Amino acid sequence: MNLFTLAFRNIRQNNKKYAMYFFSMGFSVFTVYTFSSLMNNEYVMKAFRYDQRYQSLLTAFGVIILVFVLFFLISSNSSFIRARKKEVSTYSLFGMTNGRIGRLLFLETMIVGTATLVIGILAGIFFSKLMAMFLLNLSLTNFVGDVSFVIDPKSVIITAVLFLGIFIFMGLTGLRVICKFELVDLFKADKISEGRYKGSRVVLVLSLLLIFSGYFIACSKNATVVVLGAIPILTLVITGTYFFFWGGLPKVLNLIKKNKRTYYQGVNLISTSAFSHRMKSLASVMATIAVLSAVAVTAIATGFTLYSNAEKNSYSSVGFDLYYYVGQKDMTDKVHQAFQNHHGVIENEYTLQLYEATPDFHGETLLGQENLTPEERYFRIYSETDYNKMISYSKTNLESVRIAPGEGLYIYPYSMEDIKSTILGKSLDFRSKEIRVTDVIRSAVPNFGSFNTIVIDDSDFQSMKDNGMIKTAAESGKEYHAVTVMNYKNALKSKELYQVVNEVFKNEKQQYRTVYYIYNESMETFGLICFIGFFMSVVFILMTASLLYFKQVMAAEEERHQFRMLRKIGMDVNMERKVIRKRLLPVFFIPLVIGIVHSIFAMKTADTIVFSNLIPVENSYLTVLGFSGIMYGAYAFVYVIFYLVTKNQYTRIVIK
Amino acid sequence: MQILKVENISKTYGTKKNSKKYTALKNISFEVNQGEFIGVMGASGSGKTTLLNILGSIDKPTTGRFIMNGKDIGTLDKNQLAKHRMENIGFIFQDYNLLETMTLRENIILPLALMGKEIAVIEEKLNKLAGDLCIMDVLEKYPYEVSGGEQQRAASCRALINNPKMILADEPTGNLDSKSGKDLLALLTFINKEYNATILMVTHDVFAASYCQKILFIRDGEIYNELYAGSDKKQFFDSIIDVMSMLGGERK
Repeated sequence: MNLFTLAFRNIRQNNKKYAMYFFSMGFSVFTVYTFSSLMNNEYVMKAFRYDQRYQSLLTAFGVIILVFVLFFLISSNSSFIRARKKEVSTYSLFGMTNGRIGRLLFLETMIVGTATLVIGILAGIFFSKLMAMFLLNLSLTNFVGDVSFVIDPKSVIITAVLFLGIFIFMGLTGLRVICKFELVDLFKADKISEGRYKGSRVVLVLSLLLIFSGYFIACSKNATVVVLGAIPILTLVITGTYFFFWGGLPKVLNLIKKNKRTYYQGVNLISTSAFSHRMKSLASVMATIAVLSAVAVTAIATGFTLYSNAEKNSYSSVGFDLYYYVGQKDMTDKVHQAFQNHHGVIENEYTLQLYEATPDFHGETLLGQENLTPEERYFRIYSETDYNKMISYSKTNLESVRIAPGEGLYIYPYSMEDIKSTILGKSLDFRSKEIRVTDVIRSAVPNFGSFNTIVIDDSDFQSMKDNGMIKTAAESGKEYHAVTVMNYKNALKSKELYQVVNEVFKNEKQQYRTVYYIYNESMETFGLICFIGFFMSVVFILMTASLLYFKQVMAAEEERHQFRMLRKIGMDVNMERKVIRKRLLPVFFIPLVIGIVHSIFAMKTADTIVFSNLIPVENSYLTVLGFSGIMYGAYAFVYVIFYLVTKNQYTRIVIK
Repeated sequence: MQILKVENISKTYGTKKNSKKYTALKNISFEVNQGEFIGVMGASGSGKTTLLNILGSIDKPTTGRFIMNGKDIGTLDKNQLAKHRMENIGFIFQDYNLLETMTLRENIILPLALMGKEIAVIEEKLNKLAGDLCIMDVLEKYPYEVSGGEQQRAASCRALINNPKMILADEPTGNLDSKSGKDLLALLTFINKEYNATILMVTHDVFAASYCQKILFIRDGEIYNELYAGSDKKQFFDSIIDVMSMLGGERK
């Protein structure tokens, strides 16, 4: 029997151990191929690669995936070798030299590697069209083309070369294991205990302190603090997480053990001691999984929140499908003509006079407007009736208002810190009249170019207009005096109408804004982020969960005799199931729960930096959490499935 | 008081269709009374471990039945069997079978913890037994941190802690050196006398067997002979050797 047939026989006979190994390697190959072919797909290139931002985003993501795949492969390889130590030592005992055993293992790795490479790439080719379609449909709202089915030779070569390198490296690692260990150690591999691991109170407190101080910075309301604190937050939370699993969780288990009332109940006794026994070998894996879950879950939650709110956000910044300023030239006829020529259906339109005024705020400038010239500090001013009329056309969640004489509603366009407290209840001096600000809201719709907007009572408006305090925009020196807002059918999707509108205004050099432009740009960005988040989540979850599966199934082989013994002293089937459940649940769900909690705080920072500006509601964090919750649920769901599969396999092994 | 009655137990391995049948036990019948210390001897492959497994209700006889404590064990279902094992039987194994993930203390209290006993009860029993068996000092250690003798004493402790009707010992001295083996046998005798525990010990070690009050010899799945210990230990020892040599088993 030569080495080659021996290697084949080994693979066949170890097929159960190999199955999971095979799956994880195949999946890694699949991931790398898919990503590489996606990067080289002509449609994707056309859609994204022209833009530097997207390109760097995709490249950065590619590097993360690659690093993770490496970590995953090395980690599953080492636990695979450990599981086979006994076999290796048997060869050694029968007089096979280290060199030959090394060659044998190397051969096995290469055989399995080549097979997974072929299968992974085939699966990648099979799904590449689906993935490209998925990305493009998610990101490009008007994408209707058909991605052709292509085999990308460049990606095949890249993937093959990369993985052959990795497999050779893995084969060499195996060789090192054999050379480094003594024969006796190899035989004792199963019996060498992982030892007591009591953890430490100091580390527990320290880890919690690190994590919570990270959370504390993350919760800051000041966006600048959060942006500057990103690296410290990550460092604090990540080191805290690792410390928690290394020293904190063992301590917690130790404390649980001290509570004899619960610990001395048969099931708890067995499962807790078994779990804490495995703690040492699981700690790093669990910590890594917690961190990765946090990253993946945050990525997908961010993407999903942005993506689901793209339409709302676009309208909350533009307000209408289209608006254009009305100056000397009257564009109305031209616009109507253009729509008619291209079968566009105008739903409604409204032309509104724009007025301005420059009140005095007790001789001070408003907060955040210190850098504006005095001319730029003017207020857009509306009468209650005009405002309500205009709002009725807008596609936002703004509501019509009622204003009492002498009072005013102040509207600001961007998230400005403390502006509400600065201005609410204060008076604005319009020379002839004092207007007290009784309400403040945030909206970018009614300002039409100004930083400040105020809505006042009809009669106040009339009297101020009469005594010249309120002027039209044209009177104040602007090129326009009114704005026309309009809505038309299929405004978000129709590229044709958008181009038509573009044409009309470009030719006449008139200012205008469309919701189409904003919406499609954000869909492109957010679709890509959402896709990356999704891809990353799928990769992370499959790899981390299968890593846990791997470890637990290996452990099951070792724990088999314990269950056999327990049955002899009278443990029944129900109790056995309970023990298995309690033994496996923490392994899967502690990292998941910690990952999600991290993510909840990560979403808080994302809310402070991004969402609070994007989502025009009072408490945007709750909205964000709502959308994130859906993704957390989906992530947890996949974990539950993996947990159940692992539990079944574990049960099958120990109760045989 | 009669505690166990075995009637015509047979055990056959191999499926019915398969012509290759192997009979491990043939029509075994005997009785055990409360407080007896019985040895089961025989050469390797004679069926003694099979018998022990059946008595411990880990395995089922092909035919025949045995009654323990007035109950026909053959009629119990899986969960009832588990309960039966938990309440009535204590096991001591050749390789101790302690859980490596637990300290000796946790290993010992396991049967009581499984039964859901209160902490006070558990602790009281543990302290008394561990004191008697001299393992108080090593209770907080893990099995791999203590000697084989201590492990076997802890295993005995675990077997005793639920006051079983019967203790089944499968080659308990097999992995121990002669000093520890002797200590363990003294311990079993002590348990037998002090706690009035019924012990059934499988062994092929003549010296170990000489501690028993009665010995059943098994050959090819059948009871070949029975021996009772008289007052003279030396004579008992010699007659065991005689029977063993007749059996064709090894001499020690």
